[in-house]
Amino acid sequence: MSNSDALDIIRDTSIDWKQKKLLLALCAQNSLPYVKISEKASQYLKDGVIDDLNEGNAPCSPRYILPDYHKFMNSGSDFLNLSPPQNLYDAVNNLQILYNYVPSVTCYPVFLGKIDELLEPFADTVNDTEREHIMRNFLIYIDRTLPDGFVHMDIGPKDTKIGRLVLKLEKELKKAVPNLSLLVDADTPESFLKLGVETALCTGKPYFANDRDITQALGDNYGIASCYNSLKIGGGSYTLVRLNLKKASASAKNIDDFMNKVLPDMIKAQCEIINAKTRFLVEEVRFFETSFLVKEGMLSIDNFTSMAGIYGLYECVEHLTNGLKVGHDEAANEMAVKINNKVAELVKNEDGLYCFGTGGKIGFHAQSLISSDVDVTAGVRIKIGEEPSIFDQIKIEGQLNKPFDTGVSDIYIFDQTAQKNLDGVLTIIKGAFKNGIKMFALNSSDSDLVRITGYLVKKSDIEKFNNHESIREDTVQFGVESIANQDVLNRKVRSVD
Amino acid sequence: MTKALLNRIITNTFIDGPGSRMAFFLQGCNMHCLYCHNPETQHLCNACGICIKACPKQALLKSNGKISYDKNRCIKCDQCIKVCPNFSSPKYDEVSAAEIVKLVKRNQDFLNGITFSGGECTLQSNFIYDVFHALKVETGLTCFIDTNGFITDENLELLCPVTDGFMFDMKSYNAQNHKKLTGLDNERIFRNLRYVSEKGLLYEVRTVIVEGFTDNPPEIEKIARFIKELNDYTLFKLIQFRPIGVKTYMGSLKECSVDLVKKMHQIASGILGSRAVINLFENK
Repeated sequence: MSNSDALDIIRDTSIDWKQKKLLLALCAQNSLPYVKISEKASQYLKDGVIDDLNEGNAPCSPRYILPDYHKFMNSGSDFLNLSPPQNLYDAVNNLQILYNYVPSVTCYPVFLGKIDELLEPFADTVNDTEREHIMRNFLIYIDRTLPDGFVHMDIGPKDTKIGRLVLKLEKELKKAVPNLSLLVDADTPESFLKLGVETALCTGKPYFANDRDITQALGDNYGIASCYNSLKIGGGSYTLVRLNLKKASASAKNIDDFMNKVLPDMIKAQCEIINAKTRFLVEEVRFFETSFLVKEGMLSIDNFTSMAGIYGLYECVEHLTNGLKVGHDEAANEMAVKINNKVAELVKNEDGLYCFGTGGKIGFHAQSLISSDVDVTAGVRIKIGEEPSIFDQIKIEGQLNKPFDTGVSDIYIFDQTAQKNLDGVLTIIKGAFKNGIKMFALNSSDSDLVRITGYLVKKSDIEKFNNHESIREDTVQFGVESIANQDVLNRKVRSVD
Repeated sequence: MTKALLNRIITNTFIDGPGSRMAFFLQGCNMHCLYCHNPETQHLCNACGICIKACPKQALLKSNGKISYDKNRCIKCDQCIKVCPNFSSPKYDEVSAAEIVKLVKRNQDFLNGITFSGGECTLQSNFIYDVFHALKVETGLTCFIDTNGFITDENLELLCPVTDGFMFDMKSYNAQNHKKLTGLDNERIFRNLRYVSEKGLLYEVRTVIVEGFTDNPPEIEKIARFIKELNDYTLFKLIQFRPIGVKTYMGSLKECSVDLVKKMHQIASGILGSRAVINLFENK
């Protein structure tokens, strides 16, 4: 980065001062040399077949952090001079304070905790009216002070007063922040789930998280953070480095060359970059020796991992099969599953430095694109506009979801008839879980909130942005770019024709 | 196993019975309703060939006295349906009960059940029986029938033991209007409604609110009272008339106003409470 880059950021009239400070910090980071990697890995980064999603050359904190808020609730914090809460007022206030001290790649906390578990013990310290008032203000506080679509809150799988209030209030408030996931297990009551479906058809959230399958991969102490990343609570991910399978396939002579030479070579380089960044964070930044979150037991290196992401599987298969389409051609489906499993196997063959949270191996992640990506499909999804019937889509994507242990999802859009048939939507969600889907996002075609890739923005905010009005949320700008580059408003609507 | 003439499959519908359903629209009808919005399901193709000339993609062919169509060429512009003077379509298929059962079973994780509609699906009751019977044995899915109610005693007796719910049209309570609207009397329909209701299988009665026939309070009140006297469980759905696809003079009528449907719904609700439901197309 040069001085003129910094000046461009300072002079940019479309972003606010906070975003400028973030970009300037990145600029400063990038004036340093990249963490030490091989020439080959460096070349892949230059070619753009591998990239680290703007983490910068020398990051100073892990990309995603999921503090153990339970520990905080039980013990308070010496660093923040906070005692354990005695009632709902204290509990919400303490959380609001801590949120401002949780580092991440976006500078906003990507995980707000399993909020119902955290607050339910205090739910009856106030009456019904107060409880609703406090929770409404809490959600408004989050939306206004942490204005970023990657700020993620979890509820479920247990039915709680707080969980129900969050769903009810989110339906009323209709804000993009926080992102929200509802964890679903076999015992989650139907009535609670239906409230979730009702809210989702109105606001595009919550995600429905397949607790059984995610627990199988990570154990039960996990949270959903940022877009839809499943990571251990009290841990997180040092870094996320992704591989563009579309570009990777373009450099292969044939399928055999792709599977046996190109992929192994590139994934080795990808994991090398991941481990180099992790080493830098742990050994040079010494994050785990300095953060108060670690000192006070809210974070432990034992729960951390790194993430290797992939995207562009759809185009990769299309290229290698001379035009066959995943979701429509059986041979393309088989090829997609084969490549996906091969990539997972190659990632898991490499050692993940300090990846104690995932057994010393790097987490595998279906990456959902960034706003500047063009002509390539997120993760292992089917290209927007090319989706087959919803059941066929779920069946093939369910198979493709299997190897991911740190996050994978797709978004299914229903028409307005779904709003009068919550049972029907719930049947499809449960069917999707049975068929291997790990994170099910849904929305209604007439909703003002649009799920871009993993986060939400309001259509009305996009209009404001396009009219050069100032917007609080930085993710609105990403949304505008994604709509232009990735056709996200044209997802197939599942309607009765 | 039996076969049937199938006009269309909707893989996932939320409006043809409870929960998530797969719906099958069978070809052929015994009524000729003035406001029929899928008139191409009424008759069987007589191979007149008029549609062949209308097809912009040359997807239709006449051979051995039958019209066949090339699915890959078809762009679903519906020109063939629009020009058909016979209230039919060149694009329905013959399918076996086994094929349908296989398709449903392949997707049963995502379904609460299936629904046969039409046309008048009960004209092919033996086929429906075979599908429902197989699904009862092999799955836990519910089996529903959407009918105009003009079913023979024999068919009704055949279907009831394998059917979980019927959705009956009540095109008009007034006998003269019913005949005018559909070409048939409604006496048999009332009889069948009572029969199905007594068996606990009358899931829903549906009335389209249409100008000059069902757009008046006494008519809706009579239907609602009739349902109330039948049982304490059947839903009464009021549907807004839309001229889309209608081939008779009613195709030039305006869409029934939302306010009018809401008014009729209020009347029905006064008698049936929350069992009166409304189906509007205002935001589509």
